[in-house]
Amino acid sequence: MKAIWYRFAVLLLFSALSLAATQVWAQSQEFPVSTRTLKNGMKVLVQPDHSIPNVALYIFYRIGSRNEHPGTTGLSHFFEHMMFNGAKKYGPGDLDKVMEANGGANNAYTTQNVTVYQDWFPHSALPLIYDIEADRIRDLTFDPKKIASEREVVASERRLSVDNDNGGLLDEQLWATAFIAHTYQWPVVGWMSDIEHWTMDDLKHHFEMGYSPSNATMVVVGDVSPEEIFQLCEKFIEPIPSHAPPPPVTTVEPEQLGERRLVVHKPAELPLIMIGYHVAQTNDPDFYALNILRSILFQGESSRMYQRLVDKDQLALDVSSSVEPAFDPTLAIIVAQPRQSVDPQACEKAIYEELEKVKSAPISDQELEKAKNSRLVEFYREMRTINGRANTIGTYEVFMGDYNKLFDAAKNYSLVTKDDVQRVAKKYFSANNRTVATLLPENEEKAKR
Amino acid sequence: MTRKGQTLRLLALFGLLLALCPDVPAQSLRLPPHEKLVLKNGLTVLLMGKRGVPLIDVFALVKTGAAADPAGQEGLASITAGLLRKGTKSRTAQQFSADLDYIGGSFGADAGADFTNISAEFMTKDLARGLELFSDAVLHPTFPQSETEKILAQSLDGVKSTKDEPQAVLGLYFEGYLYGSHPYGRPSDGDELSLKRIQRDAILKFYEANYAPGNTILGVAGEFDSGEMRKKLEETFGAWPARTVASAAVTAVPPSKGKKLLLIDKPDATQTYFAIGNIGVAVNDPDRVAIRVVNTIFGGRFTSDLNEALRVESGYTYGARSFFDSRKAPGPFEIASFTKNETTTPAIDLALQVLEKLHKNGVTAEQLASAKSYIKGQFPPTMETSGQLARRIVVDEYYGLGDDEVNQLEARVDAVTSAIAKQIIEKHFPLDNLVFVLIGNASAIGPAVKKYADKIDQRPISDPGFWPPPAGAQK
Repeated sequence: MKAIWYRFAVLLLFSALSLAATQVWAQSQEFPVSTRTLKNGMKVLVQPDHSIPNVALYIFYRIGSRNEHPGTTGLSHFFEHMMFNGAKKYGPGDLDKVMEANGGANNAYTTQNVTVYQDWFPHSALPLIYDIEADRIRDLTFDPKKIASEREVVASERRLSVDNDNGGLLDEQLWATAFIAHTYQWPVVGWMSDIEHWTMDDLKHHFEMGYSPSNATMVVVGDVSPEEIFQLCEKFIEPIPSHAPPPPVTTVEPEQLGERRLVVHKPAELPLIMIGYHVAQTNDPDFYALNILRSILFQGESSRMYQRLVDKDQLALDVSSSVEPAFDPTLAIIVAQPRQSVDPQACEKAIYEELEKVKSAPISDQELEKAKNSRLVEFYREMRTINGRANTIGTYEVFMGDYNKLFDAAKNYSLVTKDDVQRVAKKYFSANNRTVATLLPENEEKAKR
Repeated sequence: MTRKGQTLRLLALFGLLLALCPDVPAQSLRLPPHEKLVLKNGLTVLLMGKRGVPLIDVFALVKTGAAADPAGQEGLASITAGLLRKGTKSRTAQQFSADLDYIGGSFGADAGADFTNISAEFMTKDLARGLELFSDAVLHPTFPQSETEKILAQSLDGVKSTKDEPQAVLGLYFEGYLYGSHPYGRPSDGDELSLKRIQRDAILKFYEANYAPGNTILGVAGEFDSGEMRKKLEETFGAWPARTVASAAVTAVPPSKGKKLLLIDKPDATQTYFAIGNIGVAVNDPDRVAIRVVNTIFGGRFTSDLNEALRVESGYTYGARSFFDSRKAPGPFEIASFTKNETTTPAIDLALQVLEKLHKNGVTAEQLASAKSYIKGQFPPTMETSGQLARRIVVDEYYGLGDDEVNQLEARVDAVTSAIAKQIIEKHFPLDNLVFVLIGNASAIGPAVKKYADKIDQRPISDPGFWPPPAGAQK
């Protein structure tokens, strides 16, 4: 739910890797992708689209909080902030000023798995953007004063999104409880005491570890030609030397052998429930069936969970689910906000009953068809902007291993059967495999006592 | 809520331009061609065919919004909109959802201060079904009693849930404190007391009085055949009986005089959320483009004066910004940020210093050039999708702004000079008359923030309503 951290907060989250494509889209290939791997190992994907005079440029680095260690949790995210705070040619503050003065804007986000840099700009700013990106990949500097003030910014971000946000707080506790071995157990933003104690050396080490060009994928979508992008890459990016990528994350989370429960007591108007189930990583074949199952359960007001919890029984204000793109086995999270004076456990019970129903009886043909249609429209929604497309192409390339999977998604979804849906429901949504986090309003509890 | 989100919101909320300069040729940015027709029943229809992905977006604007809610029944316009899909002459709420979800369509309906908006999106191949569903909700809602009770109870819990997020309610308290009993001061989604007073009869009356073809503008954008679209619109919306509707007028309010401060106590807050401002401008204000340029420099982007001072240089916050939320009558101007309890007054002091500096120093030629490039460079992605375009042409039509709002944007931005910027600062950026609203831990920050105003008000966040306290709101 809060696994994605942005340099500045955004309205639109391109978090859900919604995968669906049509044969129409795949066949027509209206916007073909050109690719090239630079001599230093960075792969570049370009998709021209001249419908607006703008460009979206994304750089995905395969480094995130899963590559961190206790004591320096949150370092990837902090580093993401530092990537805007000065390099050799563009000193502290220059990057943003120069970019905005040329009509551009930027942001960046960090997840458990990746750190992604985003630039949006008019075509005229293209050479400048490459100069800026090359400068900071090659020659980032670490100004102690900037480290000190940025540390405060990140602390404020944490207070905003975790300490003063019920959803953020509960989400953090859920991951910390569901994972006991794997590095998904700590928050992307980091524990507050780690935020306070990172050192300059930690930052330098992180840069050396994660920021080799060979550890990155660049995606450019918009008012460009592949030739001009490849030329700019040859000039600005290719000369940057490559080095060793981050060491592999070898820890495997052991199978969960029984339900885990946790409670957070906090002043609040309403309770909140999150239930996390361990599921496979993004490139697992179960991915498609799992998405179809989640559509049937959670997508739209005709979905089973909405009908049951929000509409018929009126137990919850809303109910939803999410799975973030992940390199390693991750969590499918169900979130429900119980209505005033509804016992959170009544919500929980209804959720489990609906899960049992999809396990014990096959879904209908109509439901399967509906889920496939929904995935298709969602795909179009992501593909209709140069920004959404840059993110989606990059996400497929990085998490599925090949952007071409984008064009196979229609086929992969059409192959999902009712049996598949039932099978993944049984495989993942069991009591032993779940962690249940509940936030109970403190004031209400006191009143009850 | 901060930088990126804000900027997008700014661009979306107020595409404000100015009739200062004559036409300049060679504009690079223009609205795609579109046509306007008025059906026999008085419905204004705007059609824009657009290549891209095979989606169609429909956006209907009913020219009555939350500002028309009767005092004490705040939320009426929103609830009415929310119930449109919850039962029609031919479908139950469940059937509507099932039909909509089956085609992967989306549907949304909500009321803002000035108008109600209803939107839908579906695939081109589902045009007939999608348009029929959309028109069914707008033309034939039945407002079943059970669904009405359900949505009112859910909305009430929704207000409570929102109060768990200080940032989400800061604007509501601010507008309430700024506008008082004026319609723009009322919470458009209602509060814990007003939602209990709304009855089905009032909803029916509101619908009958305001949902009429002559009071509605309908925009459609996306991949479609124009002839087929006209035919389908005639079949659906053409059958909507004409009705006379009294037009809703909103009176302008003069800016607040002097300084006053409202402190909303949230005892567990470790961070103070603050808004400072006054009443700003109307959506058609002739200064709107120049204001946008100056505000970009002051608080409308990452390198703005406010964000530079409060985030980049001092590390007080994750984000600081300012915006003009322009409406039919003058809407609010607001500076907003948040900081930990300990740095509450240093951060507010700094925000005020940045404002003073703007008045003292104006803007540099370099800042002006940068802001112009930034606005022009970031504008095209706000008009990229058929959803954005359908909304844009309908809202501009409603406010009487016309295509020049987009087509002349670049020329109007370019026409803003340092001298004009100076006048804009004097006229539109308040310095001595300011309204402060803070949400935070009153026992930690209360004594220190008294210095900002002579008039101080305070109430707990858990008390029902926002501001002014509704009758019977004391717990």
